[in-house]
Amino acid sequence: MNFKRQVAVVTGGATGIGRAIALKLAEKGASVMIADINENAAAQTADEAREISGNSSSFVTDVTDLEACDALVNGTVEELGPADFLINNAGIAGSAGWQTRSHSTEDDWKRTYQVNVIGMTNVTSAFRAQMTKRRSGRIVNLASIAGREGRPSLPHYSASKAAVISLTQSTALELARFNITVNAICPGLLWTPMWEQVGDRYANANPAFKGMNPRQVFDTMIADNIPMKTEQTPEDVADAVAFLLSEDSKNITGQSLNVDGGFFMR
Amino acid sequence: MDFETKTSIVTGGARGIGRGIALELARRGSNVIIADMDEESAKGVVAEIKAGGTQSYYCETDVTQQWSTDDMVEATLEAFGQLDVLVNNAGVGGAEGFKTRKNPSVDDWQSTFDVNVFGIVNSTQSVENYMVERGYGKIVNISSTAGRAGRPGFASYAASKAAAINVSQAWAFKLAEHGINVNTVCPGLIWTPLWENIAEWRQFTHAQNAGLTPRQIFQQTVSELVPLGREQTVEDVGKAVAFLASERAKSITGQALNVDGGIRQN
Repeated sequence: MNFKRQVAVVTGGATGIGRAIALKLAEKGASVMIADINENAAAQTADEAREISGNSSSFVTDVTDLEACDALVNGTVEELGPADFLINNAGIAGSAGWQTRSHSTEDDWKRTYQVNVIGMTNVTSAFRAQMTKRRSGRIVNLASIAGREGRPSLPHYSASKAAVISLTQSTALELARFNITVNAICPGLLWTPMWEQVGDRYANANPAFKGMNPRQVFDTMIADNIPMKTEQTPEDVADAVAFLLSEDSKNITGQSLNVDGGFFMR
Repeated sequence: MDFETKTSIVTGGARGIGRGIALELARRGSNVIIADMDEESAKGVVAEIKAGGTQSYYCETDVTQQWSTDDMVEATLEAFGQLDVLVNNAGVGGAEGFKTRKNPSVDDWQSTFDVNVFGIVNSTQSVENYMVERGYGKIVNISSTAGRAGRPGFASYAASKAAAINVSQAWAFKLAEHGINVNTVCPGLIWTPLWENIAEWRQFTHAQNAGLTPRQIFQQTVSELVPLGREQTVEDVGKAVAFLASERAKSITGQALNVDGGIRQN
Protein backbone atom coordinates (compact mmCIF):
# COMPACT_ATOMS: atom_id res chain seq x y z
CA MET A 1 0.00 0.00 0.00
CA ASN A 2 1.62 3.16 -1.15
CA PHE A 3 -0.01 6.55 -0.81
CA LYS A 4 2.84 8.63 -2.20
CA ARG A 5 1.62 11.81 -3.92
CA GLN A 6 -1.89 11.17 -2.55
CA VAL A 7 -3.61 13.94 -0.63
CA ALA A 8 -5.75 12.99 2.36
CA VAL A 9 -8.05 15.23 4.38
CA VAL A 10 -8.86 14.05 7.90
CA THR A 11 -11.57 15.98 9.75
CA GLY A 12 -11.17 15.89 13.51
CA GLY A 13 -7.64 14.80 12.72
CA ALA A 14 -5.91 16.59 15.58
CA THR A 15 -6.55 14.07 18.36
CA GLY A 16 -7.72 10.55 19.17
CA ILE A 17 -8.70 8.23 16.33
CA GLY A 18 -8.38 11.02 13.73
CA ARG A 19 -4.77 11.64 14.71
CA ALA A 20 -3.95 7.93 14.45
CA ILE A 21 -5.50 7.84 10.98
CA ALA A 22 -3.56 10.95 9.90
CA LEU A 23 -0.24 9.55 11.07
CA LYS A 24 -0.90 6.14 9.50
CA LEU A 25 -1.61 7.76 6.13
CA ALA A 26 1.53 9.90 6.50
CA GLU A 27 3.53 6.71 7.17
CA LYS A 28 2.27 5.39 3.86
CA GLY A 29 3.47 8.53 2.15
CA ALA A 30 0.32 10.64 1.90
CA SER A 31 0.23 14.41 2.28
CA VAL A 32 -2.27 14.96 5.06
CA MET A 33 -4.50 17.94 5.76
CA ILE A 34 -5.53 18.00 9.42
CA ALA A 35 -8.90 19.74 9.50
CA ASP A 36 -9.92 20.42 13.06
CA ILE A 37 -11.66 23.02 15.15
CA ASN A 38 -8.78 22.92 17.63
CA GLU A 39 -6.09 25.06 15.96
CA ASN A 40 -3.12 24.28 18.19
CA ALA A 41 -3.65 20.54 18.36
CA ALA A 42 -4.22 20.46 14.56
CA ALA A 43 -0.94 22.30 13.92
CA GLN A 44 0.89 19.92 16.24
CA THR A 45 -0.45 16.78 14.55
CA ALA A 46 0.31 18.32 11.14
CA ASP A 47 3.91 18.87 12.30
CA GLU A 48 4.12 15.20 13.27
CA ALA A 49 2.64 14.10 9.94
CA ARG A 50 5.00 16.41 8.04
CA GLU A 51 7.99 14.87 9.77
CA ILE A 52 6.85 11.46 8.57
CA SER A 53 5.69 12.11 5.00
CA GLY A 54 7.43 15.40 4.24
CA ASN A 55 4.27 17.26 3.32
CA SER A 56 1.26 17.96 5.51
CA SER A 57 -0.71 20.88 6.81
CA SER A 58 -3.54 21.94 9.08
CA PHE A 59 -6.69 23.97 8.57
CA VAL A 60 -9.05 25.32 11.21
CA THR A 61 -12.43 23.91 10.26
CA ASP A 62 -15.84 23.93 11.88
CA VAL A 63 -17.64 21.19 9.96
CA THR A 64 -21.03 22.62 10.90
CA ASP A 65 -20.22 25.69 8.78
CA LEU A 66 -20.63 25.00 5.06
CA GLU A 67 -18.50 28.01 4.07
CA ALA A 68 -15.71 26.79 6.30
CA CYS A 69 -15.90 23.43 4.50
CA ASP A 70 -15.58 25.17 1.11
CA ALA A 71 -12.60 27.06 2.49
CA LEU A 72 -11.08 23.73 3.52
CA VAL A 73 -11.40 22.43 -0.05
CA ASN A 74 -9.61 25.50 -1.43
CA GLY A 75 -7.03 25.54 1.35
CA THR A 76 -6.22 21.89 0.66
CA VAL A 77 -5.77 22.55 -3.07
CA GLU A 78 -3.48 25.50 -2.39
CA GLU A 79 -1.31 23.79 0.17
CA LEU A 80 -1.25 20.14 -0.91
CA GLY A 81 -3.27 19.72 -4.11
CA PRO A 82 -6.74 18.30 -4.79
CA ALA A 83 -7.89 15.73 -2.26
CA ASP A 84 -7.75 12.07 -3.25
CA PHE A 85 -9.03 10.82 0.12
CA LEU A 86 -11.56 12.30 2.51
CA ILE A 87 -11.82 10.83 5.99
CA ASN A 88 -14.92 12.16 7.77
CA ASN A 89 -13.88 11.55 11.34
CA ALA A 90 -14.96 14.69 13.24
CA GLY A 91 -17.52 13.75 15.86
CA ILE A 92 -18.82 14.57 19.30
CA ALA A 93 -20.85 12.75 21.92
CA GLY A 94 -23.10 15.60 23.10
CA SER A 95 -23.31 19.30 23.90
CA ALA A 96 -21.14 20.79 26.64
CA GLY A 97 -21.47 18.88 29.90
CA TRP A 98 -23.04 15.73 28.35
CA GLN A 99 -20.76 13.42 30.29
CA THR A 100 -22.11 14.66 33.63
CA ARG A 101 -25.78 14.15 32.71
CA SER A 102 -27.74 10.95 33.08
CA HIS A 103 -30.16 11.85 30.27
CA SER A 104 -29.85 13.45 26.85
CA THR A 105 -31.04 17.03 26.48
CA GLU A 106 -32.48 18.65 23.38
CA ASP A 107 -29.13 20.35 22.94
CA ASP A 108 -27.35 17.00 23.07
CA TRP A 109 -29.58 15.76 20.26
CA LYS A 110 -29.20 18.89 18.16
CA ARG A 111 -25.50 19.43 18.62
CA THR A 112 -24.60 15.77 18.04
CA TYR A 113 -26.68 15.58 14.87
CA GLN A 114 -25.26 18.92 13.76
CA VAL A 115 -21.65 17.73 13.96
CA ASN A 116 -21.82 13.96 13.35
CA VAL A 117 -24.35 13.92 10.52
CA ILE A 118 -24.87 17.38 9.03
CA GLY A 119 -21.17 18.17 9.49
CA MET A 120 -20.34 15.02 7.53
CA THR A 121 -22.68 15.94 4.67
CA ASN A 122 -21.23 19.47 4.65
CA VAL A 123 -17.66 18.27 4.18
CA THR A 124 -18.68 15.61 1.65
CA SER A 125 -20.70 18.15 -0.37
CA ALA A 126 -17.78 20.54 -0.34
CA PHE A 127 -15.38 17.95 -1.79
CA ARG A 128 -17.98 16.41 -4.11
CA ALA A 129 -17.50 18.69 -7.13
CA GLN A 130 -13.75 18.21 -7.25
CA MET A 131 -13.92 14.44 -6.84
CA THR A 132 -16.69 13.89 -9.39
CA LYS A 133 -14.87 16.08 -11.90
CA ARG A 134 -11.68 14.03 -11.50
CA ARG A 135 -13.72 10.80 -11.66
CA SER A 136 -11.84 9.47 -8.64
CA GLY A 137 -11.90 9.67 -4.90
CA ARG A 138 -12.20 7.66 -1.73
CA ILE A 139 -14.34 8.62 1.22
CA VAL A 140 -14.28 6.86 4.58
CA ASN A 141 -16.75 7.88 7.25
CA LEU A 142 -16.26 7.14 10.92
CA ALA A 143 -19.43 5.66 12.36
CA SER A 144 -19.43 3.56 15.53
CA ILE A 145 -20.70 0.24 16.81
CA ALA A 146 -23.06 2.49 18.79
CA GLY A 147 -24.78 2.99 15.44
CA ARG A 148 -25.40 -0.76 15.01
CA GLU A 149 -28.01 -1.02 17.76
CA GLY A 150 -29.90 1.40 19.98
CA ARG A 151 -28.84 1.57 23.62
CA PRO A 152 -30.32 3.63 26.46
CA SER A 153 -27.07 5.13 27.74
CA LEU A 154 -26.30 7.56 24.90
CA PRO A 155 -29.36 7.49 22.62
CA HIS A 156 -28.53 10.70 20.76
CA TYR A 157 -25.02 9.46 19.96
CA SER A 158 -26.23 5.99 18.86
CA ALA A 159 -28.88 7.54 16.62
CA SER A 160 -26.37 9.92 15.03
CA LYS A 161 -24.00 7.05 14.26
CA ALA A 162 -26.83 4.92 12.81
CA ALA A 163 -27.49 7.93 10.58
CA VAL A 164 -23.83 7.91 9.53
CA ILE A 165 -24.13 4.28 8.39
CA SER A 166 -27.24 5.15 6.38
CA LEU A 167 -25.65 8.29 5.00
CA THR A 168 -22.63 6.26 3.91
CA GLN A 169 -24.90 3.99 1.88
CA SER A 170 -26.76 6.88 0.25
CA THR A 171 -23.54 8.68 -0.62
CA ALA A 172 -21.98 5.47 -1.95
CA LEU A 173 -24.88 4.92 -4.36
CA GLU A 174 -24.88 8.57 -5.39
CA LEU A 175 -21.16 8.74 -6.14
CA ALA A 176 -20.55 5.22 -7.51
CA ARG A 177 -20.99 6.28 -11.13
CA PHE A 178 -18.14 8.76 -10.65
CA ASN A 179 -15.77 5.97 -9.58
CA ILE A 180 -15.83 7.23 -6.01
CA THR A 181 -16.13 4.69 -3.20
CA VAL A 182 -17.73 5.56 0.12
CA ASN A 183 -17.42 3.25 3.11
CA ALA A 184 -17.62 3.49 6.86
CA ILE A 185 -15.70 2.06 9.79
CA CYS A 186 -17.50 1.27 13.03
CA PRO A 187 -14.89 1.35 15.79
CA GLY A 188 -15.63 -0.69 18.89
CA LEU A 189 -14.24 0.13 22.34
CA LEU A 190 -11.14 2.33 22.23
CA TRP A 191 -9.51 4.09 25.15
CA THR A 192 -9.59 7.64 23.77
CA PRO A 193 -10.32 11.02 25.42
CA MET A 194 -13.92 10.55 24.26
CA TRP A 195 -14.29 7.16 25.93
CA GLU A 196 -12.93 8.53 29.19
CA GLN A 197 -15.93 10.85 29.20
CA VAL A 198 -18.28 8.09 28.10
CA GLY A 199 -17.10 6.19 31.17
CA ASP A 200 -18.08 9.15 33.36
CA ARG A 201 -21.49 9.29 31.75
CA TYR A 202 -22.10 5.53 32.19
CA ALA A 203 -21.06 5.71 35.85
CA ASN A 204 -23.57 8.54 36.29
CA ALA A 205 -26.39 7.10 34.26
CA ASN A 206 -26.25 3.32 34.66
CA PRO A 207 -26.61 1.68 38.11
CA ALA A 208 -24.50 -1.26 36.93
CA PHE A 209 -21.46 1.03 36.75
CA LYS A 210 -22.13 3.11 39.88
CA GLY A 211 -18.98 4.11 41.76
CA MET A 212 -16.62 2.92 39.01
CA ASN A 213 -13.97 5.13 37.46
CA PRO A 214 -14.05 5.49 33.66
CA ARG A 215 -11.32 2.92 33.07
CA GLN A 216 -13.16 0.38 35.22
CA VAL A 217 -16.34 1.01 33.23
CA PHE A 218 -14.33 0.54 30.02
CA ASP A 219 -12.75 -2.71 31.20
CA THR A 220 -16.13 -4.05 32.34
CA MET A 221 -17.65 -3.21 28.97
CA ILE A 222 -14.88 -5.14 27.23
CA ALA A 223 -15.18 -8.19 29.47
CA ASP A 224 -18.97 -8.26 29.01
CA ASN A 225 -19.23 -7.48 25.30
CA ILE A 226 -16.10 -8.18 23.29
CA PRO A 227 -15.61 -11.83 22.27
CA MET A 228 -11.88 -11.21 21.71
CA LYS A 229 -11.67 -9.83 25.27
CA THR A 230 -9.32 -7.05 24.22
CA GLU A 231 -9.76 -3.34 23.61
CA GLN A 232 -9.39 -2.00 20.08
CA THR A 233 -6.85 0.68 19.28
CA PRO A 234 -6.75 3.79 17.10
CA GLU A 235 -4.08 1.90 15.13
CA ASP A 236 -6.61 -0.88 14.37
CA VAL A 237 -9.04 1.70 13.02
CA ALA A 238 -6.33 3.44 11.03
CA ASP A 239 -5.30 0.13 9.41
CA ALA A 240 -8.89 -0.51 8.32
CA VAL A 241 -9.24 3.04 6.98
CA ALA A 242 -6.00 2.62 5.02
CA PHE A 243 -7.35 -0.58 3.46
CA LEU A 244 -10.57 1.13 2.39
CA LEU A 245 -8.56 3.98 0.83
CA SER A 246 -6.22 1.69 -1.07
CA GLU A 247 -6.45 0.24 -4.56
CA ASP A 248 -6.93 -3.13 -2.86
CA SER A 249 -10.52 -2.15 -2.08
CA LYS A 250 -11.44 -0.43 -5.33
CA ASN A 251 -14.56 -2.58 -5.74
CA ILE A 252 -15.82 -2.17 -2.18
CA THR A 253 -18.39 0.56 -1.62
CA GLY A 254 -21.35 1.24 0.64
CA GLN A 255 -20.01 -1.04 3.35
CA SER A 256 -19.69 -0.37 7.06
CA LEU A 257 -16.96 -2.48 8.62
CA ASN A 258 -16.95 -3.16 12.35
CA VAL A 259 -13.50 -3.01 13.96
CA ASP A 260 -14.72 -4.20 17.31
CA GLY A 261 -13.25 -7.57 18.31
CA GLY A 262 -16.56 -9.22 17.41
CA PHE A 263 -18.91 -7.00 19.53
CA PHE A 264 -21.38 -6.81 16.64
CA MET A 265 -21.37 -9.35 13.84
CA ARG A 266 -23.51 -7.57 11.33
CA MET B 1 4.99 -8.42 3.33
CA ASP B 2 2.13 -9.62 5.47
CA PHE B 3 2.62 -13.35 4.98
CA GLU B 4 6.35 -13.98 4.89
CA THR B 5 7.11 -17.36 6.56
CA LYS B 6 3.35 -18.00 6.84
CA THR B 7 1.46 -21.01 5.54
CA SER B 8 -2.04 -20.86 4.09
CA ILE B 9 -4.54 -23.44 2.91
CA VAL B 10 -6.97 -22.42 0.18
CA THR B 11 -9.77 -24.93 -0.41
CA GLY B 12 -11.02 -24.89 -3.98
CA GLY B 13 -7.79 -23.09 -4.81
CA ALA B 14 -7.35 -24.64 -8.25
CA ARG B 15 -9.64 -22.33 -10.20
CA GLY B 16 -11.65 -19.13 -10.18
CA ILE B 17 -11.78 -17.09 -7.00
CA GLY B 18 -9.76 -19.67 -5.04
CA ARG B 19 -6.91 -19.41 -7.52
CA GLY B 20 -7.01 -15.60 -7.20
CA ILE B 21 -6.81 -15.85 -3.42
CA ALA B 22 -3.97 -18.38 -3.51
CA LEU B 23 -1.91 -16.24 -5.89
CA GLU B 24 -2.51 -13.08 -3.84
CA LEU B 25 -1.43 -14.73 -0.57
CA ALA B 26 1.62 -16.16 -2.32
CA ARG B 27 2.48 -12.78 -3.80
CA ARG B 28 2.53 -11.45 -0.22
CA GLY B 29 4.97 -14.14 0.89
CA SER B 30 2.84 -17.10 1.94
CA ASN B 31 3.41 -20.76 1.24
CA VAL B 32 0.12 -22.13 -0.03
CA ILE B 33 -1.53 -25.53 0.00
CA ILE B 34 -4.02 -25.89 -2.85
CA ALA B 35 -6.72 -28.18 -1.43
CA ASP B 36 -8.91 -29.28 -4.32
CA MET B 37 -10.15 -32.25 -6.30
CA ASP B 38 -9.13 -30.94 -9.73
CA GLU B 39 -5.54 -32.13 -9.78
CA GLU B 40 -4.60 -30.78 -13.18
CA SER B 41 -5.76 -27.20 -12.54
CA ALA B 42 -4.36 -27.28 -8.99
CA LYS B 43 -0.93 -28.26 -10.26
CA GLY B 44 -1.03 -25.31 -12.62
CA VAL B 45 -1.59 -22.96 -9.68
CA VAL B 46 1.16 -24.72 -7.69
CA ALA B 47 3.57 -24.09 -10.56
CA GLU B 48 2.55 -20.41 -10.78
CA ILE B 49 3.14 -19.96 -7.05
CA LYS B 50 6.51 -21.68 -7.12
CA ALA B 51 7.58 -19.48 -10.02
CA GLY B 52 6.80 -16.51 -7.77
CA GLY B 53 9.22 -17.75 -5.15
CA THR B 54 7.19 -19.37 -2.37
CA GLN B 55 6.37 -23.01 -1.76
CA SER B 56 3.18 -24.70 -2.80
CA TYR B 57 1.69 -28.20 -2.88
CA TYR B 58 -1.47 -29.75 -4.19
CA CYS B 59 -3.45 -31.67 -1.60
CA GLU B 60 -6.30 -33.79 -2.94
CA THR B 61 -9.18 -32.82 -0.64
CA ASP B 62 -12.90 -33.51 -0.50
CA VAL B 63 -14.17 -30.86 1.91
CA THR B 64 -17.44 -32.74 2.38
CA GLN B 65 -15.53 -35.44 4.28
CA GLN B 66 -14.11 -34.77 7.72
CA TRP B 67 -11.41 -37.43 7.29
CA SER B 68 -10.28 -35.66 4.14
CA THR B 69 -9.96 -32.20 5.73
CA ASP B 70 -8.19 -33.85 8.70
CA ASP B 71 -5.71 -35.31 6.20
CA MET B 72 -5.38 -31.88 4.55
CA VAL B 73 -4.33 -30.25 7.81
CA GLU B 74 -2.00 -33.11 8.72
CA ALA B 75 -0.32 -32.93 5.31
CA THR B 76 0.08 -29.14 5.66
CA LEU B 77 1.73 -29.42 9.07
CA GLU B 78 3.97 -32.19 7.79
CA ALA B 79 5.09 -30.11 4.84
CA PHE B 80 5.51 -26.72 6.53
CA GLY B 81 5.43 -27.32 10.30
CA GLN B 82 2.81 -24.64 10.76
CA LEU B 83 -0.56 -23.38 9.51
CA ASP B 84 -1.49 -19.72 9.85
CA VAL B 85 -4.34 -19.06 7.44
CA LEU B 86 -7.29 -21.20 6.33
CA VAL B 87 -9.38 -19.89 3.45
CA ASN B 88 -12.61 -21.86 3.03
CA ASN B 89 -13.37 -21.11 -0.58
CA ALA B 90 -14.52 -24.43 -2.09
CA GLY B 91 -18.06 -24.02 -3.37
CA VAL B 92 -20.55 -25.32 -5.90
CA GLY B 93 -23.60 -23.86 -7.62
CA GLY B 94 -25.57 -27.10 -7.38
CA ALA B 95 -25.40 -30.81 -8.10
CA GLU B 96 -24.24 -32.17 -11.46
CA GLY B 97 -26.36 -30.64 -14.21
CA PHE B 98 -27.86 -27.88 -12.03
CA LYS B 99 -27.67 -25.41 -14.88
CA THR B 100 -30.28 -27.38 -16.82
CA ARG B 101 -32.88 -27.24 -14.03
CA LYS B 102 -35.26 -24.32 -13.64
CA ASN B 103 -35.64 -24.91 -9.91
CA PRO B 104 -33.16 -26.57 -7.58
CA SER B 105 -33.68 -30.30 -7.04
CA VAL B 106 -33.22 -32.12 -3.73
CA ASP B 107 -29.76 -33.04 -4.97
CA ASP B 108 -28.96 -29.38 -5.62
CA TRP B 109 -29.93 -28.47 -2.07
CA GLN B 110 -27.92 -31.36 -0.68
CA SER B 111 -24.87 -30.64 -2.78
CA THR B 112 -24.69 -26.89 -2.10
CA PHE B 113 -25.06 -27.46 1.63
CA ASP B 114 -22.57 -30.36 1.61
CA VAL B 115 -19.85 -28.27 -0.03
CA ASN B 116 -20.68 -24.63 0.76
CA VAL B 117 -21.64 -25.14 4.41
CA PHE B 118 -20.35 -28.51 5.67
CA GLY B 119 -17.14 -27.88 3.74
CA ILE B 120 -16.51 -24.85 5.95
CA VAL B 121 -17.54 -26.74 9.08
CA ASN B 122 -15.31 -29.74 8.31
CA SER B 123 -12.22 -27.71 7.45
CA THR B 124 -12.70 -25.43 10.44
CA GLN B 125 -13.11 -28.40 12.77
CA SER B 126 -9.93 -29.87 11.38
CA VAL B 127 -7.84 -26.77 12.17
CA GLU B 128 -9.43 -25.36 15.31
CA ASN B 129 -7.67 -27.50 17.93
CA TYR B 130 -4.29 -26.74 16.40
CA MET B 131 -5.05 -23.00 16.18
CA VAL B 132 -6.47 -22.83 19.73
CA GLU B 133 -3.41 -24.59 21.13
CA ARG B 134 -1.20 -22.13 19.31
CA GLY B 135 -3.32 -19.12 20.29
CA TYR B 136 -3.18 -17.82 16.74
CA GLY B 137 -4.99 -18.31 13.47
CA LYS B 138 -6.85 -16.60 10.66
CA ILE B 139 -9.88 -18.12 8.98
CA VAL B 140 -11.57 -16.44 6.04
CA ASN B 141 -14.71 -17.96 4.56
CA ILE B 142 -15.98 -17.18 1.09
CA SER B 143 -19.69 -16.56 0.92
CA SER B 144 -21.44 -14.48 -1.75
CA THR B 145 -23.62 -11.42 -2.11
CA ALA B 146 -26.23 -14.05 -2.98
CA GLY B 147 -26.12 -14.95 0.71
CA ARG B 148 -27.30 -11.47 1.69
CA ALA B 149 -30.86 -11.88 0.40
CA GLY B 150 -33.06 -14.76 -0.72
CA ARG B 151 -34.06 -14.95 -4.38
CA PRO B 152 -36.15 -17.48 -6.28
CA GLY B 153 -34.55 -19.88 -8.74
CA PHE B 154 -31.11 -20.02 -7.27
CA ALA B 155 -32.52 -20.40 -3.76
CA SER B 156 -30.35 -23.34 -2.75
CA TYR B 157 -27.11 -21.54 -3.55
CA ALA B 158 -28.23 -18.31 -1.84
CA ALA B 159 -29.38 -20.16 1.26
CA SER B 160 -26.10 -22.08 1.51
CA LYS B 161 -24.16 -18.82 1.28
CA ALA B 162 -26.34 -17.21 3.98
CA ALA B 163 -25.59 -20.21 6.14
CA ALA B 164 -21.87 -19.70 5.48
CA ILE B 165 -22.09 -16.20 6.96
CA ASN B 166 -23.90 -17.52 10.00
CA VAL B 167 -21.45 -20.38 10.50
CA SER B 168 -18.58 -17.88 10.33
CA GLN B 169 -20.15 -15.85 13.13
CA ALA B 170 -20.55 -18.93 15.33
CA TRP B 171 -16.88 -19.82 14.98
CA ALA B 172 -15.81 -16.20 15.31
CA PHE B 173 -17.48 -16.12 18.72
CA LYS B 174 -16.15 -19.48 19.76
CA LEU B 175 -12.54 -18.84 18.77
CA ALA B 176 -12.28 -15.09 19.57
CA GLU B 177 -10.75 -15.46 23.01
CA HIS B 178 -8.07 -17.74 21.57
CA GLY B 179 -6.69 -15.04 19.33
CA ILE B 180 -8.26 -16.47 16.18
CA ASN B 181 -10.09 -14.24 13.70
CA VAL B 182 -12.90 -15.64 11.57
CA ASN B 183 -14.33 -13.42 8.86
CA THR B 184 -16.23 -13.75 5.61
CA VAL B 185 -15.90 -12.17 2.19
CA CYS B 186 -19.01 -11.89 0.01
CA PRO B 187 -17.92 -11.57 -3.63
CA GLY B 188 -20.28 -9.94 -6.10
CA LEU B 189 -20.17 -10.52 -9.86
CA ILE B 190 -16.97 -12.21 -10.96
CA TRP B 191 -16.35 -13.92 -14.27
CA THR B 192 -15.38 -17.41 -13.11
CA PRO B 193 -16.23 -20.96 -14.22
CA LEU B 194 -19.05 -20.87 -11.63
CA TRP B 195 -20.55 -17.71 -13.11
CA GLU B 196 -20.31 -19.19 -16.59
CA ASN B 197 -22.50 -22.02 -15.31
CA ILE B 198 -24.92 -19.54 -13.76
CA ALA B 199 -25.16 -17.72 -17.09
CA GLU B 200 -25.87 -20.99 -18.89
CA TRP B 201 -28.57 -21.69 -16.32
CA ARG B 202 -30.08 -18.27 -17.12
CA GLN B 203 -29.91 -18.90 -20.87
CA PHE B 204 -32.09 -21.86 -20.17
CA THR B 205 -34.43 -20.43 -17.53
CA HIS B 206 -34.79 -16.72 -18.31
CA ALA B 207 -36.62 -16.03 -21.58
CA GLN B 208 -35.04 -12.57 -21.91
CA ASN B 209 -31.56 -14.16 -21.73
CA ALA B 210 -32.18 -16.67 -24.53
CA GLY B 211 -29.86 -16.03 -27.49
CA LEU B 212 -27.25 -14.18 -25.45
CA THR B 213 -23.84 -15.70 -24.79
CA PRO B 214 -22.94 -16.42 -21.15
CA ARG B 215 -20.50 -13.51 -21.16
CA GLN B 216 -23.20 -11.18 -22.53
CA ILE B 217 -25.58 -12.30 -19.79
CA PHE B 218 -22.86 -11.61 -17.23
CA GLN B 219 -22.14 -8.15 -18.61
CA GLN B 220 -25.81 -7.29 -18.69
CA THR B 221 -26.14 -8.34 -15.06
CA VAL B 222 -23.15 -6.18 -14.14
CA SER B 223 -24.59 -3.11 -15.79
CA GLU B 224 -27.98 -3.68 -14.17
CA LEU B 225 -26.79 -4.39 -10.64
CA VAL B 226 -23.39 -2.89 -9.89
CA PRO B 227 -23.43 0.78 -8.80
CA LEU B 228 -19.71 1.15 -9.60
CA GLY B 229 -20.56 -0.08 -13.09
CA ARG B 230 -17.85 -2.72 -13.45
CA GLU B 231 -17.35 -6.40 -12.73
CA GLN B 232 -15.36 -7.47 -9.70
CA THR B 233 -12.30 -9.63 -10.09
CA VAL B 234 -10.70 -12.59 -8.34
CA GLU B 235 -7.85 -10.22 -7.47
CA ASP B 236 -10.30 -7.96 -5.58
CA VAL B 237 -11.39 -10.92 -3.49
CA GLY B 238 -7.78 -12.03 -2.98
CA LYS B 239 -6.89 -8.58 -1.66
CA ALA B 240 -9.84 -8.45 0.74
CA VAL B 241 -8.94 -11.93 2.01
CA ALA B 242 -5.32 -10.86 2.42
CA PHE B 243 -6.39 -7.85 4.47
CA LEU B 244 -8.67 -9.89 6.73
CA ALA B 245 -5.98 -12.56 7.21
CA SER B 246 -3.31 -9.99 8.09
CA GLU B 247 -2.35 -8.47 11.43
CA ARG B 248 -3.78 -5.20 10.10
CA ALA B 249 -7.21 -6.70 10.77
CA LYS B 250 -6.37 -8.27 14.14
CA SER B 251 -9.35 -6.58 15.85
CA ILE B 252 -11.83 -7.54 13.14
CA THR B 253 -13.77 -10.77 13.63
CA GLY B 254 -17.20 -12.13 12.83
CA GLN B 255 -17.62 -9.67 9.96
CA ALA B 256 -18.85 -10.31 6.43
CA LEU B 257 -17.38 -7.89 3.91
CA ASN B 258 -19.10 -7.41 0.54
CA VAL B 259 -16.70 -7.05 -2.37
CA ASP B 260 -19.41 -6.31 -4.87
CA GLY B 261 -19.13 -2.78 -6.22
CA GLY B 262 -22.01 -1.70 -4.00
CA ILE B 263 -24.66 -4.26 -5.07
CA ARG B 264 -25.56 -4.88 -1.45
CA GLN B 265 -24.80 -2.43 1.31
CA ASN B 266 -24.13 -3.54 4.80
